Amino acid sequence: METTDINLFVRTSEETISDWNRGKIVEALLKETLIDESTADEISREVETIIKKSGIKFITAPLIREIVNAKLIEKGLETARKMHTRLGMPIYDVGNLILHPNKENANVPHGPEATNLTLAERIKKEYALLAVFSQEVSDAHMNGDIHIHDLGFIDRPYCSGQSVEYIKKFGLNFPHTLSMAKPAKHPEVLLAHLIKFSAALQSNFAGAIGWDAVNIFFAPYIVGMSDKEVKQLAQMLVFEFSQQAVARGGQAIFSDINLYWEVPKHFEHTPAIGPGGEYTGKTYGEYEKEAQRFAWMLFEVYKEGDGAGRPFFFPKPIVHITEKFFKTEGHLDFLYHICDVASDKGNTYFVFDRGDTAKISECCRLSFKLEERDLEDAKKPWRMRYCALQNVSINLPRIAYLAKGDDAKLFNLLTERFILAVKAHKEKRNFLEKLLSLGEDGPLALLTMKKDGLPYLRFNIASHLIGMVGLNEMVQVHLGEELHESKRALKFGLKVIAHMKLLAEKMSKQEGMRILLEQTPAESTSYRFARLDLRDFSPFSGRIVKGNIADGKVYYTNSTHLNVSIRLNPIERVTSEGIFHPLIEAGSISHVWLGESHPSKEAIADFVVKTFRYTTNDQIAFSPEFTTCNTCLKTSRGLKTRCEYCGSEDVDGITRITGYFTKISSWNKGKLGELADRFRNENFFSYSKEVANS
Amino acid sequence: MPSKAYKLPIKGFLETSFVDWNGYISSVIFLGGCNFRCPFCHNRELVLFPERLENISLTYVIRQLRKYSSWVERVVITGGEPTIHSSLPELLKILRKEGFKIKIDTNGSSPETIKILVGESLVDFVSMDVKGPIDRYEKWCGQDVDKGKIIETINFLLMSGLDYEFRMTFVPSLHTEEDVYQTARFLRGAKRFVVQEFRPRDTINPNFMNLNPYPLEMLDRVRKKVQEIVTT
Repeated sequence: METTDINLFVRTSEETISDWNRGKIVEALLKETLIDESTADEISREVETIIKKSGIKFITAPLIREIVNAKLIEKGLETARKMHTRLGMPIYDVGNLILHPNKENANVPHGPEATNLTLAERIKKEYALLAVFSQEVSDAHMNGDIHIHDLGFIDRPYCSGQSVEYIKKFGLNFPHTLSMAKPAKHPEVLLAHLIKFSAALQSNFAGAIGWDAVNIFFAPYIVGMSDKEVKQLAQMLVFEFSQQAVARGGQAIFSDINLYWEVPKHFEHTPAIGPGGEYTGKTYGEYEKEAQRFAWMLFEVYKEGDGAGRPFFFPKPIVHITEKFFKTEGHLDFLYHICDVASDKGNTYFVFDRGDTAKISECCRLSFKLEERDLEDAKKPWRMRYCALQNVSINLPRIAYLAKGDDAKLFNLLTERFILAVKAHKEKRNFLEKLLSLGEDGPLALLTMKKDGLPYLRFNIASHLIGMVGLNEMVQVHLGEELHESKRALKFGLKVIAHMKLLAEKMSKQEGMRILLEQTPAESTSYRFARLDLRDFSPFSGRIVKGNIADGKVYYTNSTHLNVSIRLNPIERVTSEGIFHPLIEAGSISHVWLGESHPSKEAIADFVVKTFRYTTNDQIAFSPEFTTCNTCLKTSRGLKTRCEYCGSEDVDGITRITGYFTKISSWNKGKLGELADRFRNENFFSYSKEVANS
Repeated sequence: MPSKAYKLPIKGFLETSFVDWNGYISSVIFLGGCNFRCPFCHNRELVLFPERLENISLTYVIRQLRKYSSWVERVVITGGEPTIHSSLPELLKILRKEGFKIKIDTNGSSPETIKILVGESLVDFVSMDVKGPIDRYEKWCGQDVDKGKIIETINFLLMSGLDYEFRMTFVPSLHTEEDVYQTARFLRGAKRFVVQEFRPRDTINPNFMNLNPYPLEMLDRVRKKVQEIVTT
């Protein structure tokens, strides 16, 4: 190899300016691709000729690489070209990104950290689609047959649920940390450990960080504290979580806290760990009163809201309603208390654990039924660490467009897509396994630490989630009726989900991995699928997608939900939607949108108890809407264009987007379309006309 | 012979309401027509042109009520003004037979009807709209009103031992703050007096749609003071 001496400077990616060196091209080609040396040499000469002819004085390394890629294509060396490809972004896009907010996820604020996140995500996403997933899987994602969630977080598992016992027992001692802390002796320190560990976990997971039975495990630390002190602790917990704008891109930690009024059966006889990581000699069953005081105070904090009276966005409080709940003293007062918060601020999630099932919820939807092994773990709760590695959603309406009314074809296509989604899971799983196998020197060191002999992330029991978007529209395309329009439609929808559930079971066995159905929150996916189908299946899809086509605010109905806009009796909604929930093991929810209305806590409680008793619904939440004023900082009910207190037009609307509350100004177009459509259990006169006409 | 109640103009039916009966889930039946013309009323069609709204059959309503009876045990009858319909008691008898608890919303113009309903135990809760101080009742109601009847209903409810509430909608440009306090003083000792916020929506007098609601701060203050007046 010799290098022609040309008068050219190269701006390299190492922020240096080098002299032209043709040999670098050859070196890179040999290192990164499988082509032979003479071809590499030939290409480098051809590239040199092009550059020489151009008379250019300065050239960047990326441009040289692209010229080389062009040569590789010319020679039909497609595989080599792929291996030699470069990931990055046009300068125009980077400029825009730095200036304008990202609307893919309403939880991400706008700022330098957020920009970093978006830039990194862009490259990791490209990397994932080119290097982690097979072409077949990547193409299916790109064209919208399936959606692989959080591609920008390709090197992280999806979400995680765990126990406070872990930090109570082992303190804070991570691989490569600068300082280690022994188990907390004081409640405030335990709280600090909880927050810091959550932040650390958040930088290793793409999605939610959930904590099980938080009030139960704090209880031994609360003994002897006055009510005022417990309230203070509750306030610290909620504010610390909600104001930690440190995680992924400067977001708050996407955090859930699970709460119980009773001590759940599976923890009743568990030996309690107290200050200093020592056993207290009692069981958790004996700490019921302390646990209840903490839960009560947490909801007092939620009721008051933040400094401006707005609802807290995080952590999301999830209350488990069980048979034992109703047998526990004071449950009615507590139910009214949390229903008061549900009506006033909307925070409360009601999870229904009927019969003997125990569940741990993790993120907005994800929950796990505890199995035999888990109940064994419940004696050593620090072992209760659960994780989903990935979430893949299937575009259901598209399958129906393609099936053209043919049942067999529809179910065949669904099976094909499901197999493809499982393939995506396997590919991600292999990739993560590689990262985890590097142990404490690898990128996921935190998840490989073995404080109790097992790696923190228990890979062998991790879940793989398969979600669905637009069951309602699938049925609408296939039968001409939406889920709420007839028994036949609802039944067909059920058949589709039952088929998916069967596939999940079969493939779990076949592949030896735990595959579960989940209701995808699909904050941006339902928008993306609708847009792609509008492009590819018009004009038919134009009559199917929901929202407003004229201004691009289109969406598919989430998961197995019924059309959000129909004037549907909330009883009917929680009952009909609840039919699907037992099939969707990894968790489901029904939303009751309250709009401006402000029901009494008793009415909400009445509805909650009946939902528990009379339906198979897994989880419900009530969502009020708020307007918060940036001028006078007051918050009022309903979505308004002007502040009702001071008349200012500098206001933000706040309500639940999917599984969490956020400011509406940050929503993507699809979600804005849905917001406009949401039926808020108001406006019943046109209802009466419809009923009369039907 | 089918009950006359089947001829009642049911113009609206809400199967599940969280807000129409304080503390409970309820179903709501809307009867068309009203003998008042309150300019701020937001059920314009129901009051002025009930015939423009389709009738809902009582058979349908009862079928739906039965369907959800394990969830909803209470029915609210509202309007319009339910007491202008002579077959109202028939309707309530049918609902009673079905086992429902009943609440009536009224403007208090027919103390006779209310007394009959209470006498025959056809109602469990009466919610009466008091439109403002009695001395200028025509102004609030948009027409002549027999004030004696209004006072009679108020007094009856105060003495009845029944569950009841009084409600007043506080309307900008129509009522002053003092009007609310005057009304509160008149109702002193009542179990419950609720000051409602005016919403500029579909009002009987279209000019009222352009009104801005009172600031919430003011409402909060007025409500506080009203509670003091009523309970002292």
